Amino acid sequence: MNATPIPETGPHAPYGGRPVPAIAPVVVYGTGWCAATQGVRRHLDRRGVQCHYVDIEKDPAAAARLRWMTGGSLSHPTVSVAGEVLVEPSLYEVDWALSRAGMM
Amino acid sequence: MTMEGKPYSRRLQDLEDRFEQLDPLIPEGHEKEAISVLHGIVQELLRSLHRGGGTPSTDGPTLADIAELHRRAPPMEGESHSTPLSLGARAPDLSLQDGNGRLVSLHDFRGRPVILVFYPLDWSPSCSDQLSLYQAESGEFDKYAVQLLGVSVDSIYSHGAWAAVRGLTFPLLADFEPKGEVARRYQVWRPKEGFCERALYVVDKDGMIRYSYVSPKLDQVPDIYELYRVLDSLQAPVHGAPEVAGRK
Repeated sequence: MNATPIPETGPHAPYGGRPVPAIAPVVVYGTGWCAATQGVRRHLDRRGVQCHYVDIEKDPAAAARLRWMTGGSLSHPTVSVAGEVLVEPSLYEVDWALSRAGMM
Repeated sequence: MTMEGKPYSRRLQDLEDRFEQLDPLIPEGHEKEAISVLHGIVQELLRSLHRGGGTPSTDGPTLADIAELHRRAPPMEGESHSTPLSLGARAPDLSLQDGNGRLVSLHDFRGRPVILVFYPLDWSPSCSDQLSLYQAESGEFDKYAVQLLGVSVDSIYSHGAWAAVRGLTFPLLADFEPKGEVARRYQVWRPKEGFCERALYVVDKDGMIRYSYVSPKLDQVPDIYELYRVLDSLQAPVHGAPEVAGRK
Protein backbone atom coordinates (compact mmCIF):
# COMPACT_ATOMS: atom_id res chain seq x y z
CA MET A 1 0.00 0.00 0.00
CA ASN A 2 1.35 3.39 -0.95
CA ALA A 3 1.82 5.82 1.88
CA THR A 4 0.04 9.13 1.61
CA PRO A 5 2.55 11.72 0.42
CA ILE A 6 3.55 14.21 3.05
CA PRO A 7 2.47 17.68 1.96
CA GLU A 8 5.25 20.23 1.68
CA THR A 9 3.05 23.20 2.54
CA GLY A 10 -0.21 23.95 4.28
CA PRO A 11 -1.56 23.14 7.73
CA HIS A 12 -0.79 19.41 7.41
CA ALA A 13 2.79 19.83 6.32
CA PRO A 14 5.43 18.94 8.89
CA TYR A 15 5.69 21.74 11.42
CA GLY A 16 2.96 23.67 9.66
CA GLY A 17 5.17 24.19 6.66
CA ARG A 18 7.58 26.29 8.62
CA PRO A 19 11.17 26.08 7.42
CA VAL A 20 13.29 23.65 9.39
CA PRO A 21 16.54 25.31 10.45
CA ALA A 22 19.78 23.70 9.35
CA ILE A 23 20.90 23.29 12.91
CA ALA A 24 19.09 22.69 16.15
CA PRO A 25 18.89 25.71 18.39
CA VAL A 26 21.05 25.63 21.49
CA VAL A 27 20.28 27.93 24.38
CA VAL A 28 22.50 28.31 27.44
CA TYR A 29 20.89 29.87 30.51
CA GLY A 30 23.41 31.02 33.08
CA THR A 31 25.25 33.84 34.76
CA GLY A 32 28.47 35.64 33.91
CA TRP A 33 30.12 34.57 37.16
CA CYS A 34 29.22 30.88 37.08
CA ALA A 35 32.26 28.75 36.23
CA ALA A 36 30.13 25.88 34.91
CA THR A 37 28.20 28.26 32.63
CA GLN A 38 31.47 29.66 31.30
CA GLY A 39 32.71 26.12 30.84
CA VAL A 40 29.71 25.12 28.74
CA ARG A 41 29.88 28.30 26.63
CA ARG A 42 33.58 27.85 25.94
CA HIS A 43 33.03 24.16 25.22
CA LEU A 44 30.47 25.09 22.58
CA ASP A 45 32.88 27.73 21.23
CA ARG A 46 35.55 25.09 20.81
CA ARG A 47 33.06 22.76 19.12
CA GLY A 48 32.05 25.55 16.75
CA VAL A 49 28.44 25.27 17.91
CA GLN A 50 26.51 28.51 17.87
CA CYS A 51 24.41 29.08 20.95
CA HIS A 52 22.11 31.72 22.29
CA TYR A 53 23.42 32.73 25.70
CA VAL A 54 20.90 34.12 28.19
CA ASP A 55 22.16 35.81 31.36
CA ILE A 56 19.30 35.10 33.74
CA GLU A 57 20.39 37.88 36.09
CA LYS A 58 20.01 40.45 33.33
CA ASP A 59 16.83 39.04 31.82
CA PRO A 60 14.05 38.47 34.39
CA ALA A 61 11.66 37.23 31.71
CA ALA A 62 14.16 34.57 30.70
CA ALA A 63 14.62 33.62 34.34
CA ALA A 64 10.85 33.14 34.68
CA ARG A 65 10.85 31.07 31.49
CA LEU A 66 13.65 28.93 32.89
CA ARG A 67 11.66 28.30 36.08
CA TRP A 68 8.70 27.24 33.95
CA MET A 69 10.79 24.77 31.97
CA THR A 70 12.66 23.24 34.89
CA GLY A 71 9.92 22.82 37.45
CA GLY A 72 10.88 25.88 39.44
CA SER A 73 14.66 25.61 39.37
CA LEU A 74 16.94 28.50 38.44
CA SER A 75 19.95 26.21 38.31
CA HIS A 76 22.74 27.31 36.04
CA PRO A 77 23.80 26.41 33.58
CA THR A 78 20.71 24.95 32.01
CA VAL A 79 21.23 23.99 28.40
CA SER A 80 18.44 23.44 25.91
CA VAL A 81 19.44 21.35 22.89
CA ALA A 82 16.76 20.54 20.34
CA GLY A 83 14.09 20.29 22.98
CA GLU A 84 16.16 18.51 25.62
CA VAL A 85 16.45 20.60 28.76
CA LEU A 86 19.62 19.72 30.66
CA VAL A 87 19.93 21.19 34.15
CA GLU A 88 23.57 21.53 35.19
CA PRO A 89 24.78 19.00 32.62
CA SER A 90 28.26 17.60 32.33
CA LEU A 91 30.08 18.43 29.12
CA TYR A 92 29.65 14.78 28.10
CA GLU A 93 25.88 15.15 28.40
CA VAL A 94 26.01 18.27 26.28
CA ASP A 95 28.05 16.47 23.65
CA TRP A 96 25.63 13.53 23.59
CA ALA A 97 22.66 15.87 23.21
CA LEU A 98 24.44 17.67 20.37
CA SER A 99 25.17 14.33 18.79
CA ARG A 100 21.52 13.22 19.00
CA ALA A 101 20.57 16.51 17.39
CA GLY A 102 23.00 15.84 14.54
CA MET A 103 25.22 18.77 15.51
CA MET A 104 28.37 16.80 16.16
CA MET B 1 6.03 10.32 9.59
CA THR B 2 9.70 9.95 8.91
CA MET B 3 12.30 12.62 9.32
CA GLU B 4 14.41 11.55 6.38
CA GLY B 5 16.30 14.41 4.88
CA LYS B 6 15.83 16.52 7.99
CA PRO B 7 18.89 17.49 9.99
CA TYR B 8 17.37 16.29 13.24
CA SER B 9 14.05 15.35 14.78
CA ARG B 10 11.99 18.46 15.34
CA ARG B 11 9.29 16.76 17.37
CA LEU B 12 10.73 17.34 20.81
CA GLN B 13 11.86 20.84 19.90
CA ASP B 14 8.37 21.71 18.68
CA LEU B 15 6.80 20.40 21.87
CA GLU B 16 9.27 22.42 23.91
CA ASP B 17 8.48 25.51 21.87
CA ARG B 18 4.76 25.02 22.50
CA PHE B 19 5.37 24.45 26.18
CA GLU B 20 7.37 27.64 26.39
CA GLN B 21 4.65 29.59 24.60
CA LEU B 22 2.03 28.39 27.06
CA ASP B 23 3.90 29.89 30.01
CA PRO B 24 2.34 33.37 29.93
CA LEU B 25 -1.14 32.00 29.16
CA ILE B 26 -1.50 30.03 32.40
CA PRO B 27 -2.38 31.93 35.59
CA GLU B 28 0.13 31.70 38.41
CA GLY B 29 -0.79 29.18 41.08
CA HIS B 30 -0.42 25.62 42.23
CA GLU B 31 -1.75 24.13 38.99
CA LYS B 32 0.81 25.99 36.93
CA GLU B 33 3.52 24.97 39.35
CA ALA B 34 2.44 21.32 39.11
CA ILE B 35 2.58 21.40 35.30
CA SER B 36 6.04 22.93 35.48
CA VAL B 37 7.21 20.27 37.95
CA LEU B 38 5.82 17.50 35.73
CA HIS B 39 7.70 18.95 32.79
CA GLY B 40 10.87 18.98 34.86
CA ILE B 41 10.30 15.34 35.80
CA VAL B 42 9.82 14.32 32.16
CA GLN B 43 13.04 16.07 31.16
CA GLU B 44 14.98 14.42 33.99
CA LEU B 45 13.56 11.01 33.00
CA LEU B 46 14.74 11.64 29.46
CA ARG B 47 18.20 12.48 30.77
CA SER B 48 18.20 9.35 32.86
CA LEU B 49 17.34 7.23 29.82
CA HIS B 50 20.15 8.80 27.83
CA ARG B 51 22.58 8.14 30.66
CA GLY B 52 21.66 4.45 30.59
CA GLY B 53 19.86 4.25 33.89
CA GLY B 54 22.74 5.29 36.09
CA THR B 55 23.40 1.91 37.70
CA PRO B 56 25.55 2.55 40.76
CA SER B 57 28.99 1.04 40.88
CA THR B 58 29.48 -1.78 43.37
CA ASP B 59 33.22 -1.19 43.58
CA GLY B 60 33.08 1.87 45.80
CA PRO B 61 33.65 5.48 44.79
CA THR B 62 35.36 6.09 41.49
CA LEU B 63 37.75 8.89 40.62
CA ALA B 64 34.84 10.61 38.89
CA ASP B 65 32.76 10.35 42.08
CA ILE B 66 35.56 12.04 44.03
CA ALA B 67 35.92 14.72 41.38
CA GLU B 68 32.22 15.48 41.81
CA LEU B 69 32.31 15.71 45.62
CA HIS B 70 32.34 19.50 45.44
CA ARG B 71 28.77 19.45 44.14
CA ARG B 72 27.55 18.22 47.51
CA ALA B 73 30.04 20.16 49.62
CA PRO B 74 28.95 23.01 51.91
CA PRO B 75 28.65 26.28 50.00
CA MET B 76 31.41 28.85 50.14
CA GLU B 77 29.89 32.25 50.64
CA GLY B 78 30.93 35.71 51.67
CA GLU B 79 31.57 39.14 50.24
CA SER B 80 34.93 40.53 49.26
CA HIS B 81 36.79 42.79 51.68
CA SER B 82 39.91 43.44 49.63
CA THR B 83 41.30 46.06 47.32
CA PRO B 84 43.89 44.57 44.99
CA LEU B 85 47.30 46.04 44.18
CA SER B 86 47.33 48.87 41.67
CA LEU B 87 47.69 48.39 37.94
CA GLY B 88 51.16 49.31 36.72
CA ALA B 89 52.78 48.29 40.01
CA ARG B 90 55.50 45.69 40.04
CA ALA B 91 54.09 42.31 41.02
CA PRO B 92 55.61 41.14 44.32
CA ASP B 93 57.82 38.14 43.77
CA LEU B 94 56.77 34.81 45.21
CA SER B 95 58.45 31.46 45.68
CA LEU B 96 56.24 28.58 46.74
CA GLN B 97 56.20 24.81 46.35
CA ASP B 98 53.83 23.20 43.92
CA GLY B 99 52.00 19.89 44.29
CA ASN B 100 55.13 18.03 43.23
CA GLY B 101 57.28 19.72 45.84
CA ARG B 102 59.08 21.88 43.29
CA LEU B 103 59.87 25.47 44.16
CA VAL B 104 58.16 27.81 41.69
CA SER B 105 58.95 31.53 41.56
CA LEU B 106 57.24 34.31 39.70
CA HIS B 107 60.56 35.49 38.30
CA ASP B 108 61.01 32.07 36.64
CA PHE B 109 58.51 33.26 34.06
CA ARG B 110 59.98 36.66 33.29
CA GLY B 111 59.60 37.27 29.57
CA ARG B 112 56.09 35.84 29.35
CA PRO B 113 52.76 36.86 30.89
CA VAL B 114 51.54 35.10 34.00
CA ILE B 115 48.00 34.70 35.31
CA LEU B 116 47.99 34.38 39.10
CA VAL B 117 44.83 32.63 40.20
CA PHE B 118 44.19 33.13 43.91
CA TYR B 119 41.43 30.79 45.03
CA PRO B 120 40.14 29.98 48.52
CA LEU B 121 40.55 26.22 48.89
CA ASP B 122 41.14 22.98 47.01
CA TRP B 123 38.10 20.67 46.77
CA SER B 124 35.61 23.49 47.39
CA PRO B 125 32.60 24.15 45.14
CA SER B 126 33.41 27.12 42.91
CA CYS B 127 37.17 26.52 43.00
CA SER B 128 36.76 23.07 41.49
CA ASP B 129 34.74 24.36 38.57
CA GLN B 130 36.96 27.43 38.13
CA LEU B 131 40.23 25.53 37.86
CA SER B 132 38.71 22.86 35.61
CA LEU B 133 37.53 25.70 33.38
CA TYR B 134 41.12 26.98 33.15
CA GLN B 135 42.45 23.50 32.49
CA ALA B 136 40.03 23.19 29.57
CA GLU B 137 41.39 26.50 28.28
CA SER B 138 45.03 25.39 28.42
CA GLY B 139 45.29 25.17 24.64
CA GLU B 140 43.98 28.70 24.28
CA PHE B 141 46.33 29.99 27.00
CA ASP B 142 49.23 28.37 25.15
CA LYS B 143 48.41 30.53 22.13
CA TYR B 144 49.05 33.57 24.30
CA ALA B 145 52.21 31.94 25.74
CA VAL B 146 50.75 32.77 29.13
CA GLN B 147 51.63 30.79 32.26
CA LEU B 148 48.88 29.96 34.73
CA LEU B 149 49.72 29.64 38.44
CA GLY B 150 47.14 28.70 41.06
CA VAL B 151 47.69 29.86 44.65
CA SER B 152 45.87 28.79 47.80
CA VAL B 153 46.70 27.99 51.42
CA ASP B 154 46.40 24.24 50.89
CA SER B 155 49.38 21.93 51.44
CA ILE B 156 51.42 20.49 48.60
CA TYR B 157 49.81 17.10 49.30
CA SER B 158 46.31 18.44 48.95
CA HIS B 159 47.35 20.23 45.76
CA GLY B 160 48.86 17.02 44.38
CA ALA B 161 45.78 14.92 45.09
CA TRP B 162 43.33 17.54 43.87
CA ALA B 163 45.29 18.12 40.66
CA ALA B 164 45.40 14.37 40.00
CA VAL B 165 41.67 13.93 40.54
CA ARG B 166 40.71 16.92 38.41
CA GLY B 167 43.43 16.48 35.79
CA LEU B 168 45.00 19.88 36.45
CA THR B 169 48.40 20.22 34.83
CA PHE B 170 49.38 23.81 35.69
CA PRO B 171 51.21 24.45 39.00
CA LEU B 172 49.17 24.83 42.17
CA LEU B 173 51.28 26.70 44.71
CA ALA B 174 51.04 26.13 48.46
CA ASP B 175 50.78 29.42 50.36
CA PHE B 176 50.89 27.22 53.41
CA GLU B 177 53.62 28.38 55.77
CA PRO B 178 53.69 31.17 56.79
CA LYS B 179 50.02 30.71 55.99
CA GLY B 180 48.72 33.18 53.45
CA GLU B 181 51.88 35.26 53.30
CA VAL B 182 51.74 35.62 49.51
CA ALA B 183 48.01 36.38 49.60
CA ARG B 184 48.73 39.15 52.12
CA ARG B 185 51.46 40.49 49.84
CA TYR B 186 48.93 40.68 47.03
CA GLN B 187 46.26 42.19 49.34
CA VAL B 188 43.78 39.37 48.88
CA TRP B 189 43.91 37.75 52.32
CA ARG B 190 40.77 37.03 54.35
CA PRO B 191 41.98 36.87 57.96
CA LYS B 192 38.67 35.75 59.47
CA GLU B 193 38.41 32.68 57.29
CA GLY B 194 42.10 31.90 56.96
CA PHE B 195 42.11 31.72 53.19
CA CYS B 196 42.37 34.15 50.30
CA GLU B 197 39.86 35.90 48.12
CA ARG B 198 38.99 34.59 44.72
CA ALA B 199 41.17 36.91 42.67
CA LEU B 200 43.08 37.17 39.42
CA TYR B 201 46.23 39.08 38.59
CA VAL B 202 47.67 39.27 35.10
CA VAL B 203 51.38 40.06 35.21
CA ASP B 204 53.03 41.06 31.94
CA LYS B 205 56.35 39.78 30.62
CA ASP B 206 58.19 42.55 32.48
CA GLY B 207 56.66 41.68 35.82
CA MET B 208 54.16 44.55 35.94
CA ILE B 209 50.55 44.12 37.03
CA ARG B 210 48.32 44.70 34.01
CA TYR B 211 45.02 43.42 35.39
CA SER B 212 43.56 42.63 38.76
CA TYR B 213 40.17 41.38 39.80
CA VAL B 214 38.72 40.37 43.14
CA SER B 215 35.40 38.57 42.92
CA PRO B 216 32.76 40.57 44.79
CA LYS B 217 31.45 37.31 46.27
CA LEU B 218 33.45 34.20 47.08
CA ASP B 219 31.33 31.89 44.95
CA GLN B 220 31.60 34.11 41.89
CA VAL B 221 34.19 33.19 39.28
CA PRO B 222 35.78 35.89 37.09
CA ASP B 223 34.46 36.12 33.54
CA ILE B 224 36.74 34.13 31.22
CA TYR B 225 35.73 36.30 28.26
CA GLU B 226 36.96 39.40 30.10
CA LEU B 227 40.22 37.62 30.85
CA TYR B 228 40.69 36.96 27.15
CA ARG B 229 40.06 40.61 26.36
CA VAL B 230 42.88 41.45 28.78
CA LEU B 231 45.21 38.92 27.17
CA ASP B 232 44.33 40.32 23.76
CA SER B 233 45.20 43.81 24.95
CA LEU B 234 48.61 42.59 26.16
CA GLN B 235 49.37 41.53 22.62
CA ALA B 236 48.33 44.86 21.13
CA PRO B 237 51.02 47.22 19.85
CA VAL B 238 52.65 49.25 22.58
CA HIS B 239 52.16 52.49 20.64
CA GLY B 240 48.67 53.52 19.63
CA ALA B 241 45.33 52.48 20.99
CA PRO B 242 45.25 48.83 22.04
CA GLU B 243 42.76 46.77 20.16
CA VAL B 244 40.70 44.71 22.55
CA ALA B 245 39.16 41.82 20.69
CA GLY B 246 36.24 39.98 22.17
CA ARG B 247 35.11 36.44 21.96
CA LYS B 248 31.65 35.19 21.45
